Amino acid sequence: MIEVQGLTKRYGTNLAIENVTFAVEKGGVVGFLGPNGAGKSTTMRVIAGSLGASSGTAKVGGFDVAENPRAVQALLGYSPEVPPVYTNMTVRDYVTFAATIKGVEDVTRATDRALDRVGLSKVGGKLIDHLSKGYRQRAGLAQALVHDPQVLVLDEPTSGLDPAQRVEIRELIRELAAGDRTVILSTHVLGEIEAICNRVIVINRGRIVVEDDIKNLAAAGKTVRLELARPSAEARTALAAVAGVESVELTGSTAVVRSESDLREQLAAAAVPFGLLELGGRERLEDIYLRLIGAQGAA
Amino acid sequence: MNAIFAIARRETSAYFASPIGWICLVLFSLLAGLFFSIMLIGYASQAGEMGNMGQEENVTEMLIQGLFGNLSVIALLMMPALTMGLIAADRRERSIELLLTSPVTSAQIVLGKFLGGLGFATVMVLTTLYVPISLVIMGEPDPGVFYASYGGFIVLMAVFVSIGLFTSSVTENQLVALALGFSINLSVWIMGWLGQLVKAGALKAVVEHISMLSHFEQLSKGVVHTNDAVYFITVIGFFLFATTQRVEALRWR
Repeated sequence: MIEVQGLTKRYGTNLAIENVTFAVEKGGVVGFLGPNGAGKSTTMRVIAGSLGASSGTAKVGGFDVAENPRAVQALLGYSPEVPPVYTNMTVRDYVTFAATIKGVEDVTRATDRALDRVGLSKVGGKLIDHLSKGYRQRAGLAQALVHDPQVLVLDEPTSGLDPAQRVEIRELIRELAAGDRTVILSTHVLGEIEAICNRVIVINRGRIVVEDDIKNLAAAGKTVRLELARPSAEARTALAAVAGVESVELTGSTAVVRSESDLREQLAAAAVPFGLLELGGRERLEDIYLRLIGAQGAA
Repeated sequence: MNAIFAIARRETSAYFASPIGWICLVLFSLLAGLFFSIMLIGYASQAGEMGNMGQEENVTEMLIQGLFGNLSVIALLMMPALTMGLIAADRRERSIELLLTSPVTSAQIVLGKFLGGLGFATVMVLTTLYVPISLVIMGEPDPGVFYASYGGFIVLMAVFVSIGLFTSSVTENQLVALALGFSINLSVWIMGWLGQLVKAGALKAVVEHISMLSHFEQLSKGVVHTNDAVYFITVIGFFLFATTQRVEALRWR
């Protein structure tokens, strides 16, 4: 549904994103993860057609964004980090306006449905200026989905919300992602990615660091890291001999042991003869993320 | 087409939700009344001294054209303030993202905003209609002069809107747009005075052609020359085209 090939965006000599390549199949829910300024928003804006790339292509539903932006925009809904709302309009007028310029046929019905979807039906007559931040965010979402797009691109849909609002929006996105709608969303909150997405793309300094299924990344978390004073082939064999160990990788003084269950106690016992210095806990998604970002930062 | 009108309608109604819209509307209408009263009193005392009231047509022509002559200067000063936000505010508030990511072209956005601004300007012009009613009460004004003056003035407003729209597209800062709008409006206007200073010749012809004043004078007399029409269409077209290029460039920043 979304194919991004070698996307690069240059601001002067500054590279916002460099050679970004990935694909999302129909019905996929992809989480964009990365520190501020990593290039998440830039990539999303290029896909949504509000920013031209310096090189590379982005295709949505088979249409090239650069060559046929209107076709792409007709089947894509985009909600930027700052909701693109007119504060002097009422919620209903705003969504009606969005529906009209997006070429929706039955504007009234589409508006009702979008307002209902994001839970704004009751405040339809209110000025957007008078809405709380969470409600403005919802107005931004209503605008993105008013034409019932096949693809939703949501840039930090939960940023700046309180925890309760965050849960509500997350719930809403999960509902929107049901069916065969394709969703890309960016966030800082890893829990959100785990809860909503089936695939994750980690981006740092304008480059994709990792692109994988959530399942695989979670599997990567089933490893234990050991620092040994006297690493050797025997140490390797001894660790591998512990019941339940799937694999052992020994590089330098660091052994990474993979296992389905938590074997830290047994592994510690086995490693003591080889001078166990340190035993790292089982990695969580946060750790993996920080390691990926950190490794790149050091590079 | 729907998209253009939706954008236009949104812009026009936004003026009615903004203080600057109402201030301009009321001020413009009141000034029209004031100018007209002054001119009427001036005419009456003059006519009384001379002892002849002249022909009806001439009175209409004189009064209406005098009124719009004065109002055109007011519009020149007022329109940049009304148009400064058309695109700049959208950029500052980021609401431009909605337009840029909707299936509408840059030309549609620009045309919609232009018509939206012109829509409000037309409302402003129509609020002055209470003024010439006194002419109808006093006598039988020539409807041709009447329509031509109003039509011509709306064309002039279209020029100001297109210039203001362009200045609003070059910056996110509305005050910069305002200053730029004044500058362009004044320089195009001043060409008319320059034309009077320059002696006959090619230069005079050129300066007078660029001057908005001379073209507007013709138009408000109810005389539609091809070259005046071409002039206004060219100026409006040029600024709308330039604005479209600017909006297109926004997609590449």
